[in-house]
Amino acid sequence: MSATVRLVPVQEVYSDLLNRTLSRISCDLGRLIYLASTRDYNTGSYYHEGLASRFSPEVARKTLEMAHRQAFYKVSGFSLEDLASDLEAYLRSTRESPQEFLRTWQRLEPYRIAIPTEVNLTVARLFTSNLRLALAILRSRQEPSQSHR
Amino acid sequence: MIGTSSALVGAVLLLVLILVWIRADSASRHPPSVLDPWLADQGDGVEVCPPEFVLQIFSGQDLAFISRLESPELKRHFLRERSAVALLWVQQTTAAIRRIMRRHLEASRLSEDIEFAMEARIFLQYAKLRLICGVLFLLIGLAGPQRLHGMALRADKLTQRIGEVLRELESGARTGEMDGARSS
Repeated sequence: MSATVRLVPVQEVYSDLLNRTLSRISCDLGRLIYLASTRDYNTGSYYHEGLASRFSPEVARKTLEMAHRQAFYKVSGFSLEDLASDLEAYLRSTRESPQEFLRTWQRLEPYRIAIPTEVNLTVARLFTSNLRLALAILRSRQEPSQSHR
Repeated sequence: MIGTSSALVGAVLLLVLILVWIRADSASRHPPSVLDPWLADQGDGVEVCPPEFVLQIFSGQDLAFISRLESPELKRHFLRERSAVALLWVQQTTAAIRRIMRRHLEASRLSEDIEFAMEARIFLQYAKLRLICGVLFLLIGLAGPQRLHGMALRADKLTQRIGEVLRELESGARTGEMDGARSS
């Protein structure tokens, strides 16, 4: 009886993740939040059922961690204008009430959970700061339309 | 008379500098959100800020966008947030370069073949960088990060250059040690 061990490079797993899952999410912020959600809050390690069964839990974990960091740096590098548009696209994709969404996000700052571990402190601070500003921009766009009602 | 007035001007300038320093220090210690301190708990081992983000923090692009929105409140919010990020970057850069220099000094103490000219050059660059960081720390709150774009990029380049020189020195020292071990 012989067991064949196939070494799968992380890049191949990443392409699989991109084609099957990430490409279906309409905006970069949505992709970042999705990837952050594959991380266990208690242990900090990543898990994805489909990837782990198709490849191996270890390769899946490494791929998710890498994809999460890439998505984080991409969103953190957005200009405020692009981030506000991306946040608007994410807001639309949730189908929640915009007022409720903006209020909750400003109050609870749930996007903080999207920061990967061991990223540069300044970039992490820029990310939260820009999201705070993007939320304020969307809120200011909402307020004039509300006052006309 | 001239002596008294210049002493007075000097004292006022010193007072202003102290006030600006205190303001910048308190802005960097008290970020706008109460949830921020957890970020400060992250360890020293995190990677340095990539240059494209330094460019972004000090660029005028976002300020131009915010100005187009014609909301004084949003503009104030933006300036406060961006200054806090810029101040954090200055603190991180100062801490990183201090760490690099401390490591280098420890290695130099153990080394037998110190090049004094090279050490002096490194120290001068280090002093220059600390001075730029100090000036940036003072001016960010007064002028805003966007006006200090050139100075910040210079500090970033200088940090990278010092890091590269010290890395080269360390790898040279390691090669020398290995050669010495082989020949003995």
